[in-house]
Amino acid sequence: MDILRPDSLEAARAALKNGSVALAGGTELVPLLRDRIVEADTIVEIRHAVPRGIQGTRIGAGTTLGELEVDPQIPDALREACRLAASPQLRAMGTIGGNLLQATRCWYWRLKYPCWLHGGGRCFAHEGLHREHAVFANAPCASAHPSDVAAALLALGATVRTDRRELPIAELYRLPTGDDRRMTGLEPGELILELEVPMPAASTYLKAMDRKRFAFALVGVAAARSPEGTRLALAGMAPIPWLLEDESALDEATPLPGNAYKLEIARALIRRALVAVAP
Amino acid sequence: MSTPATRRKLELGRVGESVKRVDAVPKVTGEFAYSSDLFAAGMLWGHTLRSPHAHARILSIDISEAVGLAGVHAVLTHDDVPGDKRYGLEFPDQPVLAFDRVRYFGEPVALVAAEHPEQARRAAAAIKVEYEPLELVVDPELAADQPAIHPQHWTQGHGYRDDPRPNVVRDMRIERGDPDARADVSVEGYYELGIQDQAFLGPESGLAVPDGEGGVDIYVATQWLHVDRDQVAPCLNLSREQVRIHLAGVGGAFGGREDLSMQLHAAMLALHTNRPVKMVYNREESFFGHVHRHPGRIWAEHRANRDGKLVCVRMRILLDGGAYASSSTAVTSNAASFAVGPYAIENALIESTCVYTNNPPCGAMRGFGAVQTCFAAEAQMDKLAAELGMDPVELRLRNALASGDELPTGQKITGSMPVEEVIRRAAAIPVPDPEELPRDPIRLPGGAGNTTRGDGVQRGVGFAVGFKNIGYSEGFDDYTAARVRLFADTDGDLVAEIYCAAAEVGQGVTNVILQTARTELELENVMLAPGTTGEVGSAGSASASRMTWMATGAVQAACRAVRDELDRRGGGLASGDEIDLERIYRHPRTGPLEPETGQITTERAHVSFAAAAMRVVVEVDVDLGLTRVVWIGTAQDVGTAVNPQAVYGQIEGGTAQGLGLALMEEIQTRDGLITNASFTDYLIPTALDMPPVVAELVEHPEPEAPFGVKGVGEPPTVVSTAAVMSAMRAATGRELNRVPVKPDDIVFSGS
Ligand SMILES: Cc1cc2nc3c(=O)[nH]c(=O)nc-3n(C[C@H](O)[C@H](O)[C@H](O)COP(=O)(O)OP(=O)(O)OC[C@H]3O[C@@H](n4cnc5c(N)ncnc54)[C@H](O)[C@@H]3O)c2cc1C
Ligand code: SF4
Repeated sequence: MDILRPDSLEAARAALKNGSVALAGGTELVPLLRDRIVEADTIVEIRHAVPRGIQGTRIGAGTTLGELEVDPQIPDALREACRLAASPQLRAMGTIGGNLLQATRCWYWRLKYPCWLHGGGRCFAHEGLHREHAVFANAPCASAHPSDVAAALLALGATVRTDRRELPIAELYRLPTGDDRRMTGLEPGELILELEVPMPAASTYLKAMDRKRFAFALVGVAAARSPEGTRLALAGMAPIPWLLEDESALDEATPLPGNAYKLEIARALIRRALVAVAP
Repeated sequence: MSTPATRRKLELGRVGESVKRVDAVPKVTGEFAYSSDLFAAGMLWGHTLRSPHAHARILSIDISEAVGLAGVHAVLTHDDVPGDKRYGLEFPDQPVLAFDRVRYFGEPVALVAAEHPEQARRAAAAIKVEYEPLELVVDPELAADQPAIHPQHWTQGHGYRDDPRPNVVRDMRIERGDPDARADVSVEGYYELGIQDQAFLGPESGLAVPDGEGGVDIYVATQWLHVDRDQVAPCLNLSREQVRIHLAGVGGAFGGREDLSMQLHAAMLALHTNRPVKMVYNREESFFGHVHRHPGRIWAEHRANRDGKLVCVRMRILLDGGAYASSSTAVTSNAASFAVGPYAIENALIESTCVYTNNPPCGAMRGFGAVQTCFAAEAQMDKLAAELGMDPVELRLRNALASGDELPTGQKITGSMPVEEVIRRAAAIPVPDPEELPRDPIRLPGGAGNTTRGDGVQRGVGFAVGFKNIGYSEGFDDYTAARVRLFADTDGDLVAEIYCAAAEVGQGVTNVILQTARTELELENVMLAPGTTGEVGSAGSASASRMTWMATGAVQAACRAVRDELDRRGGGLASGDEIDLERIYRHPRTGPLEPETGQITTERAHVSFAAAAMRVVVEVDVDLGLTRVVWIGTAQDVGTAVNPQAVYGQIEGGTAQGLGLALMEEIQTRDGLITNASFTDYLIPTALDMPPVVAELVEHPEPEAPFGVKGVGEPPTVVSTAAVMSAMRAATGRELNRVPVKPDDIVFSGS
């Protein structure tokens, strides 16, 4: 396995050929490589290819969560989501770009069960333990998207700029299908460069966890109010960050026998989030 | 020649004084050498190939590719075990390396030594093992009707109740008085506990160094040096003298280091390669590398009269022991013996069964059976109080066990048993008033998650009492040896060097030994030599809350022998002279329980008992199911506190572990595989989850113990799970009969 450290975007693009994978903070990628869930011949460190830092409403994809959580200019929901993610050590290394592209925490998947998302025929979570899993769009794969940050950006209506295009963050994600089981629409080698995050009138992020800190969201609720209205987005509730029309859309969920409790939590959290962002 | 050296007057550090722990500063500054920090010139790294099946026959093992890989010095299988092929803490049911079959997921199958740990890992991955999966036994309710995992039935014929059913490790009954005795009211309940992990921060690790004469020195983090040696030597086909175990820095133990982990494996590799071999498990491997707390299912019925007097308790306890026996037989018995709690009772029927399954092996963990039953029994006491319309503390006081009372096993308590005082003291600690709103979210349920400003938050106050035995039981011939060498140093001062193989597992026994010696010798200059099997007899295990009592007894005896000898020599030593004496201490003898009725066959089955009472305040956001434990007040029966500061530390740490079991800690398995073998997925409390603990020490010296000491490590763990759950029920109004309790159980009543 080779490690390349290109010093420009052009060099990085050239290096990101077949069989190579981009490395930012490595907090997600390195464990996946270690467990051989991601196989790669070449690792391309993108530190010098991807912008880092905050300029007005633009955030470089290489900005760490640690930098974002203390920034007073960015919307509250995003700052809170960054602050509540992972642990200080991980936030010091982990970037916002990497956070958006993290894989599911489904332990069957992480333990390499030959499950549907790994290309197999069945979902082990459906028949087994699934209290942490998805309540929306949870067939054939019930994995829950773990990113707090993505939920916040979704509620805020952020735009993603890659080295090839600009797209609303909602379009970064896709539900996996039988013939294409990826969860994002990024092309091979495509790099996220920047996020454009409009400033809302008010926003917040609330996160229910199994302990007071350093845990993934059971349910995360982001709410952002702008002149067009208030947008809600959820973490931990669907295989991808989930946009919610309004509270009543919770009734469309299809919980599994062991995770309907998430809807109760979501209902209460949404109410509280709406109060928090109300004018 | 100068005048003979005499004792310099002792200033500090007697028994009963709070003394800073000798390992405190190095541990906090990161300088303390843990077993994983060991290094030897020319050392190789060992790695273990583990089973990817929970139950399978091994058809073949092909190491040909692995041995040829770069850096690889040895690849060993069961064929290479020089002596006995099996070992075990109490029953030799566990293969050194699997031969005919594997019985749990992660069972060691082969070993590799290589120059670099990564080379060792890769070579292990290149070993080809052919398995034929066998029927899984993973439901403890069904295990006794499934094919035997151990056809040899290792635990039969050891004086336990005869139970020929397959997979029964131990089935015991305690029958007292009239188990059908009726009373005015009766409450019933069913309770469950998940598998808890010790979650010690220092994973299994150590270094084996061949001595060049066929023997081996093993430096390892363990709880009982001599029992490791006694298991390792026969498997290596060596004499006990040829195997020396040395205590390396222990990063937590809590029972999980009673069984062997890498000791034998590293020694096999070291002897085979004639090089030092180091092995360090990573976190995931550590979950597969030690036994856990038994998960339990408990059914209970409590009958009492209107005045609150308990009349009869009936309980059925089912424990899943996993694939190997470890200390399951003792845990089964402990669960039953302390099932009722520290209450006087005349009629009882307690049935306790432990089965083999293909789940992760379970064994010793802080509280050892008493944690499981205390959770159930105290929930029952709360239920009973509600049924009787009586104050729960009052109900407990009315039934409190006291010295002179008999336990359900028929044993009369002869030592100190201040249950009533413990309850009164804990209940008298003032409970803080609810904090005002608004508050920092960190001071609300949901913590950092910012989930409430006070909406949905309900407060609950709970109370529980627990107790447990101190020391080994049921006829085990338990002893601790200590040796004291007194000599004059070059300044003409007397110096005492203490040898004792008591394992410092973080509990603070080093200070206990030093304080005992200082007190007994009236001497300032006291050192504790590193723990090793080479220099002194067995100290027994740092478990069952016994080490303080036993080490104190042994060190006291050896010090007194040395003092007498010094007096005989006129009170001083000439430079170059020394006194070197070893003494063995035994606690009062115990005897086995009668197998059919669980009644004592001699004066006692247990040495001594210690109780703790605890009040817990929680706030629960009932809309979200999130909990904040606000405050804990506790009183504990400690005999005599040797080092009070360390006792408070044990109470806080033990409480945190019980809180973890109540609210978050659970090993998840699927078909025997641990699915959350990481600290990302297996959650333990952080500092934010632990409230302040106000602790009171109830000191009633234990008449038969040196200095009146009792053990203090386990009672806080026994009682805290029950106490937290009592508060959780008060806050939510829900039954919450399973731990850990999760938000799911609070917000949603479905399925
Ligand atoms: C123990 C643990 C707990 C965690 N808890 C939380 C939590 O509570 N909430 C939460 O939201 N997150 C959590 N995380 C996720 C964490 O925030 C992410 O791991 C981190 O942000 C990823 O950033 P990174 O720079 O390290 O990404 P890397 O590991 O370097 O990369 C991750 C993935 O993104 C790709 N990638 C990275 N940058 C780019 C880019 N600019 N363009 C294209 N592809 C890119 C990589 O190729 C890789 O596939 C947790 C992680 C761990 C390990
Ligand atoms: S939830 Fe998805 S990732 Fe998990 S087992 Fe099912 S298919 Fe696999």
